Amino acid sequence: MAKKKHTDYVDLKDQPIPEGQHLLEVDNLKMFFHTEDGVVKAVNGVSYTLDRGETLGVVGESGSGKSVTHMTIMGLIDMPPGKIEEGDIRYRGKSLLEMTEQEMQHVRGNDIAMIFQDPMTSLNPVYKVGRQVGEGLRLHRGYSKQEALERATELLRLVGIPSPEKRVNEYPHQFSGGMRQRVMIAMALACDPDILIADEPTTALDVTIQAQIIELMKEMQQKNGNAIIMITHDLGVVADMADKIMVMYAGRPVEFGTADEIFYESRHPYTWGLIRSIPEQAIDEKKPLTPIHGNPPSLVNLPKGCPFAPRCPYAVDICHEQEPEHITTETGHYSACHFADDPEFLKFAPDTSRSRGKIATGMPDTLETSEAAPKADGAKKTGGEA
Amino acid sequence: MAEQNVREPLLKVEHLSKEFPAEAGMLAGRFSKRVVSAVKDVSFEIYPGETFGLVGESGCGKSTTGRSIMRLTKPTEGSVFFNGQDVAKMSNKELKDMRRNMQFIFQDPQASLNPRMTIGEIVSEPMTIHNVGTKEERIDRVRELLDVVGLNPEHINRYPHEFSGGQRQRIGIARAFALRPKLIICDEPVSALDVSIQAQVLNLLKDLQDKFGTAYLFIAHDLSVVQHISDRVAVMYLGKIVEISDWKTLYTEPHHPYTQSLLSAVPVPDPDVQKTRKRIILPGDPPSPIDPPAGCRFHTRCPIAKEICGNEEPKLCEVRPGHFCACHCAAVNPIKETSIEL
Repeated sequence: MAKKKHTDYVDLKDQPIPEGQHLLEVDNLKMFFHTEDGVVKAVNGVSYTLDRGETLGVVGESGSGKSVTHMTIMGLIDMPPGKIEEGDIRYRGKSLLEMTEQEMQHVRGNDIAMIFQDPMTSLNPVYKVGRQVGEGLRLHRGYSKQEALERATELLRLVGIPSPEKRVNEYPHQFSGGMRQRVMIAMALACDPDILIADEPTTALDVTIQAQIIELMKEMQQKNGNAIIMITHDLGVVADMADKIMVMYAGRPVEFGTADEIFYESRHPYTWGLIRSIPEQAIDEKKPLTPIHGNPPSLVNLPKGCPFAPRCPYAVDICHEQEPEHITTETGHYSACHFADDPEFLKFAPDTSRSRGKIATGMPDTLETSEAAPKADGAKKTGGEA
Repeated sequence: MAEQNVREPLLKVEHLSKEFPAEAGMLAGRFSKRVVSAVKDVSFEIYPGETFGLVGESGCGKSTTGRSIMRLTKPTEGSVFFNGQDVAKMSNKELKDMRRNMQFIFQDPQASLNPRMTIGEIVSEPMTIHNVGTKEERIDRVRELLDVVGLNPEHINRYPHEFSGGQRQRIGIARAFALRPKLIICDEPVSALDVSIQAQVLNLLKDLQDKFGTAYLFIAHDLSVVQHISDRVAVMYLGKIVEISDWKTLYTEPHHPYTQSLLSAVPVPDPDVQKTRKRIILPGDPPSPIDPPAGCRFHTRCPIAKEICGNEEPKLCEVRPGHFCACHCAAVNPIKETSIEL
């Protein structure tokens, strides 16, 4: 079969978004794995929309389906054992599920790019870094070897790697963890993607390096106007970056809203549990943590009714019987809880009055104005709430 | 913690250093002079019943410090006094007796439990080794311990793979408490766990401490976890302690620029706070411990470094009672040089 040249494709990201549609629309997506042990309902009814310049934070514990949802969007799930049971994914109005593998290949890396959690296993140890960063450009843009290497050097400089002319000719093992993650970001940004999916990009990194990487991603977003999907288990990271947040539990979103809605006006007891489980950076007395009891359910044997009901301290009979529908407010904030619109119930929500997290207040002014923190305040997000 | 000042310390670490040969291989240590200085001149004390947090980034030597205290690795220099005896000079026999009172909880509950042993065997093994009680008494004790850590005593004959990550960590905790030790070294006990499970385990550790009066050396990279559980906290950078203080002072009035930047880098789960707070983003990566920078080890990344920082190593000075900081610039009024008498 004759291979199509890159020029035969039309870049989807250059096409206008059809009237009334969003950049990315995930619509009641269900993807189950059919295994010997039974059907694993890994993605069980995920819906959201994303616009340019926006950052969506996806939070949940391990096994909640946050990664596998986005692997499905990228077409990275082996089918079988995976199978799309229902729903659609539309990117600029075009269904990704109806695309051929060849068309999908052009979307991956070019229109939608992904950063993985572990930079060591996602970089090829036997190829030089420059070649790996430039690979997408050669594939999608038809750059020559030389052009790709030059652009790779530029990209490495952009993501803050010192002496990139030298570094492009080095191998991944010669880079530190933070530097490798920068390489991954450079690789993902090489083709100017519309959407950057970052799957736990900072989880393997130390907090000072994490802060560098988050600043870098914000800065790049400001420059390119791309959308970011930030998958993480760290509520701190989403509070820092996200415009919208989707909280996932047992393969489905249990709550979706703007960052403020999720943190200050949450309507789902699982989100409350997550917020209460984090050690507060309190400056007064220590309060004991309120953990969520029990363990997440098995995705093969989901409990009847609400999947969170067995761990929910407020569960009543209906929760064990009937699966809750999404209850949506006017602003598009939804919660999958039977009582999400019951004002009496919402009184149980944690008190997240905006006085939390007063920390490190004794910082001298010399540090504030120092050159080490030039970007800290400048990184305002582009785009707004939709 | 007020009576701390008059109590005898349970553990006293003095000028502890640990070096590893930088090259691997059988003869590496004999011919090569290059060494990784993993821990350098670390001193601190832990009092009975308190939780001492040791926090720092990967490679800063916090785990090596913990392992040297228990003598899982032999320290290159310095002494570790536990109950008045120097652990660094103990014979194997003495070490065994000492370890009855000092136990360890590991980070990875999967790797630290033998998959071929039932949890009953795992939890009773320390008692078997130290000849505690009869077999029946040991089984009763194991059941009691499982109950205390929130596992079903009926599961005594199950294997580790039948448990979730959080439950496995509870097994590790039950094992550590089997001999009712005076000190438990917890090396990143919750960092492999999800946040809701992490909160369960932290509460459990706190409850057990209240019940048995055990002291913890709590090693972690997560500042909010360390703050939550610790009475006093030491911050390490590249093998050295840069600041020690009680938890409250450390988090409200950090003196060392590294502590300050570490605190400011922790993402706070509160969007409003994130938008407004000051942040110090340190440039670059920590330098290699093979050839650590001369002078202050932090000066290459420090936002307020002066000339002296590159030449002279700062000493850990007491900036106010109980608060020590090793910085030329931050410790404006050093009260006295520390000989770690708190």
